Amino acid sequence: MPKIFIDDRGFEVAEGLTVLQAAESVGLQIPHFCYHPAFAPEGSCRMCLVEIEGLPKLELACSALVKEGLKVRTMSPKVVEARKGVLEFLLADHPLDCPICDKAGECKLQDYFEEYGLFRSQFKEAKEKREKKFKLSQNLILDRERCVLCNRCVRFLNVITKTEEAGILNRGTRAEVGIFESELVNNIYSGNLVDICPVGAITNSDFRFQTRVWFLEPSESICPLCSRGCNIYIDSHPGFPRTARARRVYRIRARQNPMVNFHWICDYGRYGYAYLDKGREDRLVWKKGDRETRLSWDKASQILTEKLRSLLELRKHSRIGVVLHTNLTNEELFLADRIFRKGMGVDRLFLADPPPGKGDEFLLTADRTANRRGLQEVGLPVQAPDRRGLSGLDLLLIFGHYLDSETGPADLKDTLDKIETKVLFATHKSSLDSLVDFVIPVPVLAEKSGTLTNVDGRVQTLAAGLAFESDGVPEWRALLDLAKELKVEPEYPWPMTSPASIYRALQEEIAFFK
Amino acid sequence: MDEKVLTQHFGLEGLYRIEVYRKKGGYKSAEKALKQMTPAAVLDEVKRASLRGRGGAGFPAGVKWGFVPQNVPKPRYLCVNADEGEPGTFKDRYLINHNPHLLLEGTIIASYAVGIHTAFIYVRGEYEAVALRLEGAVAEAYEKGYLGKNILGSGFDLDATVHRGAGGYICGEETALLESLEGKRGYPRLKPPFPASVGLFQCPTVINNVETLSNIPFIIQNGAEWFIKKGLPKDGGTRIFGVSGMVNKPGIYELPLGTNLRTIIFDHAGGMKDGKKLKAVIPGGMSAPILRADEIDLPMDFDSLASAGSMLGSAAVIVIDSETSILDVLKTVAKFYSHESCGQCTPCRIGTAWISKIVERLARGKGERDDIDAIIRLASNIKGKTLCPLGDAAALPILSICQKFRQELEGDLPRA
Repeated sequence: MPKIFIDDRGFEVAEGLTVLQAAESVGLQIPHFCYHPAFAPEGSCRMCLVEIEGLPKLELACSALVKEGLKVRTMSPKVVEARKGVLEFLLADHPLDCPICDKAGECKLQDYFEEYGLFRSQFKEAKEKREKKFKLSQNLILDRERCVLCNRCVRFLNVITKTEEAGILNRGTRAEVGIFESELVNNIYSGNLVDICPVGAITNSDFRFQTRVWFLEPSESICPLCSRGCNIYIDSHPGFPRTARARRVYRIRARQNPMVNFHWICDYGRYGYAYLDKGREDRLVWKKGDRETRLSWDKASQILTEKLRSLLELRKHSRIGVVLHTNLTNEELFLADRIFRKGMGVDRLFLADPPPGKGDEFLLTADRTANRRGLQEVGLPVQAPDRRGLSGLDLLLIFGHYLDSETGPADLKDTLDKIETKVLFATHKSSLDSLVDFVIPVPVLAEKSGTLTNVDGRVQTLAAGLAFESDGVPEWRALLDLAKELKVEPEYPWPMTSPASIYRALQEEIAFFK
Repeated sequence: MDEKVLTQHFGLEGLYRIEVYRKKGGYKSAEKALKQMTPAAVLDEVKRASLRGRGGAGFPAGVKWGFVPQNVPKPRYLCVNADEGEPGTFKDRYLINHNPHLLLEGTIIASYAVGIHTAFIYVRGEYEAVALRLEGAVAEAYEKGYLGKNILGSGFDLDATVHRGAGGYICGEETALLESLEGKRGYPRLKPPFPASVGLFQCPTVINNVETLSNIPFIIQNGAEWFIKKGLPKDGGTRIFGVSGMVNKPGIYELPLGTNLRTIIFDHAGGMKDGKKLKAVIPGGMSAPILRADEIDLPMDFDSLASAGSMLGSAAVIVIDSETSILDVLKTVAKFYSHESCGQCTPCRIGTAWISKIVERLARGKGERDDIDAIIRLASNIKGKTLCPLGDAAALPILSICQKFRQELEGDLPRA
């Protein structure tokens, strides 16, 4: 571990790092535009120039390697002057349209000017006019006046997706990011260009002029739309709705995790955020004939408890069925196993999942559920919800809205009509709503705490980033409430009151989760 | 003048043909090197000859060759830099047009010394005639067995290919040349790694200027000591000075290194045209800082020019007379670098364009009092801070013009 000195403070840093990486590893920032940890140093923005003792010229922090005793100055007059020079150059032609720029508030150019610039403009010439809304792809708009030519987008398309749709065209001050005529950037990772653009040059067409980033609250989450479990930020308006036209969730961004998704997410996960707010179940209802009664969860759980108790007392556990899915957390699947199978002796456990899609060799998997691996590791035996399986039941608990005539029997309605009581725990409205007796809203994964096991067997923690606002209840809570009343609660020396306490039990019982 | 080496047979009818070249002793050096010398001996001879690169930077050629690792399982390449784009410079064009086989012979010997079997000659895009002449010479050399397999029965193989650039000054910068040769956008690379270890197609590569390589056959033929006597101990050989501008006899002059600049202008190039007064000289291609008329009493070699605050560069001497407006000179310089900046790094891309815009405004008579200070400030923010030498190539002449001719530039500006 070489010892280096940054602005006279000594640090032990890892071998083989660049000065910039070493500084970041000890919590110090060296400003930069073109450097990105996913790519080799480019050295073109010249923002990260620092003074290294013994060298005559300023050196690039992004490419100079650390060595024992290296003395770096990041705030010397020479460095500060050079940095101001770069900012002055970049701002000379810049349109300064921050008031209408979607990047304002998270723009490196803006932040660095505030931190290292604060000079009066001495640019007296006419600014270059460039295309301000060049369509780069179906989802992306390029503003060439804001572009600082850091080349990150081009490198992403060359190095990460290897689709090479973009390049730098022309020379000198006429240089600009461009694509082949009539051939848009077209790959399912293109949305990452917005994340890596250090300024407001590349923006999402669905985010443009919708809100200001400082109104958004990022919450850390896991993308549930395939089994990769990419780490994401969900940016939403707290205190929604802030204004009449405002919505809750505005965008999803990649959250870095070198073990799962690096810096990237696919467009399917990025732009597929509408489901978080649209078509949600929001009322807990009990339907008798044409009458719908709105209930609280307490009341509903009493009714369900009674129904279950009467069946269990008559030893009719074989007339109870449960449909599960793999967008449930490890904790919920574990509880389902312990309560239904082991506690009540129910063996008619079914699985109804959304259909698979097309996967690729990078992040997106064909499996479009978040926790199939979790189901495997919990060891829950499940069967297909076919007609034979669903026949002869008195009570069917359906988790998820994925049971339909594709995943279940073709004559789903007739099959379900023969079952006396059907209870649906669902995040979203579906055709199942009209076939069941109880509809109980449940949170989507972004509104839930717990853990998920990704396709590679990595267990990742979910924090309830978005608020769950409805009559309903998370599935783990519903399962614990029912089990407690029926005295089939799994017993541990600690109280089972939260996903964390359930996970402790999981760790106790199943070697995989240790 | 028997001082001439490279240009000694210029003017000889058909010198560019292989049979004429051979009649004048051509390819004897290659034969000597390949048949009688080891690669190490060739390398040693060139090192001892103190041959410094003629492209502009003046790096010792032998040292450069010595950097190429011999123990890596990769091909090695030689790139001949014939992308002669420095304004005022036209020596390589003459060399190739008159004597293409001299360059090829140097190329063969250099390749032999470094263990290279593939050479590319990167010719400036606009030099169509030069490229055609070279292609003809390469075909002849293949036919006569100086290129290809088992050259002269020595067991040494070498292929040479002529490649034409697409018209960018930046591609004369060696790493941009490599990118361009690889079929990519002509962007200079971040150094290190240097081309000697990671060059063309990520393989060890030597890049030499046309004039540098053309000297090699003479070093092999006459020895390092002879070569040093032609020039200076740390700077061997002659130099081809390309004199342009307001002189009576513009053209190329092959003279010993260290020849006085005043002598070059007033003796060799016939003095000032129409008896005009000398105002300034750009001594080493446009990127060299300008010299005032009273600064030209100095020997033209790398070190002397560096001490005078300028550089020998490509030894292209641009002579400016007193009737030429210095603002016009500044405008030409600023416009050129703005036009030729590749756009990769911030200071050069925007700085050169900004300076050019200010100078254009000055030329339109819309100058302001603080404009010269602004140009100096901007050029200082380019100098030493860019990815490749083009930034300095732009900043240094601009700074020197502003500093040395400030009075004239400010003459018409409104008083504060």
